[in-house]
Amino acid sequence: MDAEVRRKQLSAAIHRVAGGDRAALRVVYDATSAKLFGVCLRILNDRTEAEDVLQDVYLTVWRKASAFDETRASPITWLVAIARNRAIDRARGSGAARLNEPIETAESVADPAPLAAETVEATQESTRLYSCLEELEARAAKAIRAAFLDGLTYEQLAEREKVPLGTMKSWIRRGLARLRECLER
Amino acid sequence: MSDNGNIEPAGRGLTAAEYVLGVLDAEERRAAERRIAQDAVFAREVAFWEEKLGGLAEAVAPVEPPAGTWARIAAAIDRVQSAGVEKGGIWNNLPLWRGLALAASTLAAACIAALIYVGTVAPPAPLLARLDAESGQAGFVAAVSPGGTTLTIVPASLLSADQQAMELWLIPDGEKPHSLGLIDPDRPVTISVPEDLLPKISTNAVLAVSLEPPGGSPTGQPTGPVIADGKLAAL
Repeated sequence: MDAEVRRKQLSAAIHRVAGGDRAALRVVYDATSAKLFGVCLRILNDRTEAEDVLQDVYLTVWRKASAFDETRASPITWLVAIARNRAIDRARGSGAARLNEPIETAESVADPAPLAAETVEATQESTRLYSCLEELEARAAKAIRAAFLDGLTYEQLAEREKVPLGTMKSWIRRGLARLRECLER
Repeated sequence: MSDNGNIEPAGRGLTAAEYVLGVLDAEERRAAERRIAQDAVFAREVAFWEEKLGGLAEAVAPVEPPAGTWARIAAAIDRVQSAGVEKGGIWNNLPLWRGLALAASTLAAACIAALIYVGTVAPPAPLLARLDAESGQAGFVAAVSPGGTTLTIVPASLLSADQQAMELWLIPDGEKPHSLGLIDPDRPVTISVPEDLLPKISTNAVLAVSLEPPGGSPTGQPTGPVIADGKLAAL
């Protein structure tokens, strides 16, 4: 199925959820739970916690579907944002258990070349993002990817890369500022 | 180029990006979420970054969740729904509340809602409190029923507590806080006032909402930051 069609179907299902349609929530769940579970698991590194957060994510979708605005966000981005926020909050609550892995290891675990059938729609948006990331210093791009995927704080990233906190903040902030320039071009 | 972070234009204008990226600590995240609720420009920045950075999630391989997960979600929704029916549909109609809250004045809408509610119980002679956030914006509006036995607290702006619980406290003039229980940032909650606190619900008592661990304060006193407070006053 074509990405644009999937996106429209998912948006429509979320709108039905806003109207209290539980079957529509099941449609959303079936279409997205593996992706969102992957996202939570990557951040939490614990299946039980990730499942807990995943339940919370779909309950949030159930309660807040009316806040979804397809003119402002693609449905999968909206869902991924909810999942990441919940998982990051859970990770912040459970302390700093995951500091030892260097970024390289973490990336090799879960960065397969995206398969067409499995990806969040490979949109023009993300193609643009990846080309903008390539314009950054390599270490900034790497830190930004690691922060997003693993849900680490500045401190955790600095510890993992064995650089001072100020250095890590500087890499990422400089990277984000450049990224914004590039994305807005 | 130096590695000294101080020569950077600090994080100016990048807080939204840092929030979306996930590099902020728990306290900074709460602050960013309060700003999302209160600052439309900031909220748009967050939406911008969520949309742009969201593409990074493509790198995460899907993993099938455990088989029983959907059943547990469905059961949790059943519980929410049966609780909602008991409380009366309108109080749980989030789109309605959002619509009301966003129309013209969030505070006016919440006041009207609280008054309508109180009005259905008895002729109005209520105590009201507007619980303001640090920014001065109304966080909640609370209305005490005329008999003083129940208190309805209505969120006036979109707040998010995520992992944390929001606990309501009654602070009589010159006394320590007494817990009135947990509240929901998403919908109005009606609380039965414990009998020993009935006499303390009066003009000039302060109501405050603090952020607490899930399940509420473990100590019986507020342990987290107070996110909104205000005095009870007769209308």
